[in-house]
Amino acid sequence: MTHAVPGRPRLGAVARKIGGHLGRGLAMIWVVATISFVIIREIPGDPVLGQYESLIQKGMSPEQAERATAVLYGFLPTGNLWQQYVGYMGSLLHLDLGRSLSTPGVEVTTLIGHAARWTVLPVLAGTLLSFLLGVTMGVYAAIKRSGKLGDVLALSGSLLHGVPVYVIGLLLTAIFATLWPIMPSGGPVDVEFVPGFNAGYIGSLVHHAVLPVVTYTLASYGGWILAMKSNVVAVLGDDFILAAELRGLRRGFVFRYLARNAILPLFTILALSIGMLFGGSIFIEEIFNYPGLGLLLVNSISSRDYALMGGTFLVITVGIVVANIAADLLYTAIDPRVRSGGAA
Amino acid sequence: MTAHTAARHTAAPGVRIRDLTVVYKTPAGELPAVRGVDLALAPGTITGVVGESGSGKSTLALSLLNAVQPPGRIAAGSVEIDGLGDVLTLRGEDLRRTRGRQVGYVFQAAQNSLNPLKTIGKQLLDLGRSHDVEDLRGLVRDAKDLLARMGMDGARVLDSYQHELSGGMRQRVGIMLALVLNAKVVVLDEPTTALDMITQATILRIIREVHEERALTTLVITHDVGAVAEVADSLAVMYGGRVVEHGPVTEVLGSARHPYTQGLIRAIPRLSGDLSLARALPGRPPTLGTLPTQGCVFRERCERRMEVCETDEPMSVTQDGRTVACHAADRHLTLVKRKEEFV
Repeated sequence: MTHAVPGRPRLGAVARKIGGHLGRGLAMIWVVATISFVIIREIPGDPVLGQYESLIQKGMSPEQAERATAVLYGFLPTGNLWQQYVGYMGSLLHLDLGRSLSTPGVEVTTLIGHAARWTVLPVLAGTLLSFLLGVTMGVYAAIKRSGKLGDVLALSGSLLHGVPVYVIGLLLTAIFATLWPIMPSGGPVDVEFVPGFNAGYIGSLVHHAVLPVVTYTLASYGGWILAMKSNVVAVLGDDFILAAELRGLRRGFVFRYLARNAILPLFTILALSIGMLFGGSIFIEEIFNYPGLGLLLVNSISSRDYALMGGTFLVITVGIVVANIAADLLYTAIDPRVRSGGAA
Repeated sequence: MTAHTAARHTAAPGVRIRDLTVVYKTPAGELPAVRGVDLALAPGTITGVVGESGSGKSTLALSLLNAVQPPGRIAAGSVEIDGLGDVLTLRGEDLRRTRGRQVGYVFQAAQNSLNPLKTIGKQLLDLGRSHDVEDLRGLVRDAKDLLARMGMDGARVLDSYQHELSGGMRQRVGIMLALVLNAKVVVLDEPTTALDMITQATILRIIREVHEERALTTLVITHDVGAVAEVADSLAVMYGGRVVEHGPVTEVLGSARHPYTQGLIRAIPRLSGDLSLARALPGRPPTLGTLPTQGCVFRERCERRMEVCETDEPMSVTQDGRTVACHAADRHLTLVKRKEEFV
């Protein structure tokens, strides 16, 4: 490019933009970490101090109890709030989220890492599958909106959108695991296979993932198809689509103009829901007995495992913050109007 | 490229619209937006079509590309273009190839006629590929030439997105896209609406120049009588879906015969002279639902209304190259015609 087009950003501007996003993201994570520290510290009954005192009651010396508690939570149970806060932040910087109470001795990061695998697989697959399916069907529903096919598609969207995910999950389990048992009723994988890259293990993995993935897909498909349909209908009414037809553009081109413009707003939602997946899907994990992040969070709450709770919250936060940044950058990449920083 | 240059020197085609009727589906049944329109565009001329909102002028323009949008439907008539035949019988791929390649269309609100997510250059290439242009470099060169003719930096414009261009620039891009494939018939639907006066004048000058240079047959739709006076050779006045008067632009504007045309001209404010001399036409233009089904469509607002206007629809009468559909304007002729019918 030999000439500078006004409003087109240069490399420096892009770097500045990314830097700004990262800075804001870090600030947000810091705020959430602080809030989660304050909550755990100030929750009625003070679990940290309680832990410390119960250890003393068990016969530990105060020094031992203090050290044991510090290992659990990442900061000293005694001292003033400020000192504790500095200690907590310090261990956070070392990615030390403390140790779990309910699974004694295991680091929170290890537990979260294990659980994340079982969440990312089915929820990510379900999100992407429902997105592709919903968007494709949404386009058809919009184009055929005055016909039978359009009505049926739109109705399927509204219906599935209205049914809660646990109803879908329970129905599928009842049908495919009980009435007609072709699918495993729960668990992430059969125990007889050796974990690793072998056909038996992966086959079992996929087999177990089918029902959760299908459940998740059906549950979120409705939202996608309805959103895509209304976007396509809106873009169809835009002048440039008719203009493209009047210029004799091939159907393929017109369709691409239509689809790209209609799908644009959905990318933000997609990026955000991928961020949300670190929260897991509590109902699906519960129904299919998937040891994912959602289940981990629920269990940490019911067993008052505060360190684990705080760690899980933090991971969810980071996931959402990163997804937000990704959504913004993605938008910048695909929408030239955002890229140059000004709407027409 | 040679094909392009050769095409530039072929004669302009004539366009004949015959008995065109376009109906729109409404809860009250199918109502005509354009009814029984006969209009011939002489080869190599610019024909202006003026009328108020809802007079059917945009529908008429879309009919030239057989592109009336649902719930509208072309119910009768033909649009014959030299070398193409009746456009209204074209379907599918034949119709698509005609659009853009043979008949260029500059969209009403051309400011919004571009895909916001693609640069103008990429959209130009899409257009070229859609019409099997083999020499895409030549196409880009032609586009740059056209843009330069219209006073723009072609390379810069092709590298821009729609939102980086002003309204006047987008309009010119719309005109470029309609001309770049060397269409010989060009339809401009409200090409200067929503533009400021200076840009308007520039666009009109460009239309005139390119029209002459490329030997086109051009149809300009507008509600701006002043704009049409500047560019058009002949002028058709539409009211209630009918062409009520048609003739050379100087004659129609200089000595209007139809009371509606006269009213329109009286309503134009003059730059010099008293503003109060401009008088608005009394009443409102009819909508699809309020169009009278018999008699003259204009009689409600007409100061020369007669008894016959209530019952008989005035026929189009052509005399000395001018066509008028009015009982009052050509009472004598009509009477003679009616007497003949009774014999």
